[in-house]
Amino acid sequence: MKKLALMAAAAIIYVFAAWMVAPGFYDGFGPPQPYNWTCPPPQAGANIKPGPGHVTIKVIGGKSDANSAFTNDGQIVIGFLPDAFDATGKSSISVDIKPLDTCPQPTGIKFVTNVYLITADAPLKKSSNLVLRYSTLEPDPSDVYQAPDPNGPWKSIGKNQQAQPFTVDTSTSSLGYFAAGYPAASPPPAAIRVGGGQLLPIIVAALIVVVVLAGLPLAVLRRRRSPGGSEEEDDS
Amino acid sequence: MIWAVPSRSPARALVISAYVLAVEVMRTVVMRAPGAVVPALILGGAALMLIALGIPAQRLGLGTSRLPLRIVGGLALGAVLLLPAAARSGAAPLLPAGLAAAAVAVSIGEEIAFRGALFAALEDLGGAPLAIVGSTLLWTLAHALSHPPEFLGAVAAAGLVLALWRWACRDLVGPILGHVIADLAL
Repeated sequence: MKKLALMAAAAIIYVFAAWMVAPGFYDGFGPPQPYNWTCPPPQAGANIKPGPGHVTIKVIGGKSDANSAFTNDGQIVIGFLPDAFDATGKSSISVDIKPLDTCPQPTGIKFVTNVYLITADAPLKKSSNLVLRYSTLEPDPSDVYQAPDPNGPWKSIGKNQQAQPFTVDTSTSSLGYFAAGYPAASPPPAAIRVGGGQLLPIIVAALIVVVVLAGLPLAVLRRRRSPGGSEEEDDS
Repeated sequence: MIWAVPSRSPARALVISAYVLAVEVMRTVVMRAPGAVVPALILGGAALMLIALGIPAQRLGLGTSRLPLRIVGGLALGAVLLLPAAARSGAAPLLPAGLAAAAVAVSIGEEIAFRGALFAALEDLGGAPLAIVGSTLLWTLAHALSHPPEFLGAVAAAGLVLALWRWACRDLVGPILGHVIADLAL
């Protein structure tokens, strides 16, 4: 009984500790925090609006320094190589990232992230690496899209090999509006997933039912076979 | 093999601790390289399993007696680990299918290393309290690099639940099954 009480207490402590952070227990595969949506999907629950980002890049000897710009929530990061900008006549370069207040859904494309506007007060002359984080609530994107205006035209700038789960990487030679998504006409890429999501409550309910239905008879059988009802049986 | 060192020697527990920590840290660092997530998880899981070479299965808690109870226990542990995320409903993440095999490998590896070999070495050294507390602390420390600090409380509590099961039921099948279920679903 002492062991059972200790395990029950530990389980309660775990549930309480895991409740304090979403999603609770994960082993480094899932994103550490929920996606901040401009237009949250119905299943998103509580939502925090996405934040902007800013960086001032030094110009040394006429060349812009290496640096990166990112939003506070880390949902978009753009990395600039040394001398990435045409820095003629400048002592620094200002880069801003702003999430668009609206959620355009251009014909033929399904966006799975917010749309972000990246601007700088100097033109790019070298490709920059762009990383967008995406939500677990939408299918994986197949491409990153770019447009000079939120109304389009949107063009795919592809994607690189995935470096981290729930992120999509690409490179861009110009700034503007960016979002990740997939062609609306095709089935969502990587739509087959293991577990989780809306199925998760059902999975847990099924586990509990199986445990109760199978566990009780097993426990009764075990007590009948062992008159002392000891739990101390060991394999050694 | 390290298991040849006398059972009450602190050296055995220290070497096992250092090895599993080094593997976990290396895995976390390698995972950050482009395209390295799945290989790092699979190789990391395999490297963790290596520490159990030469240890009798029963000493790890891997016997086959009471197997139905062990399996039901694993399902129960899985349900407990998933309960907070399930209650949150829409906030639960989904594991991409490509990571599933890697998640299974690393879950089994972590259980064999932390609740198997390390638990047994610490138990030999200082009894059940040291095994439970020590394996939980090492497990939490091993996740300090891969998880944001605010998650470490939940990681530690999960480790404590799994270690208590290992101690109370003399079983590692349940923790392995529960850990695999939780990693596949999250």
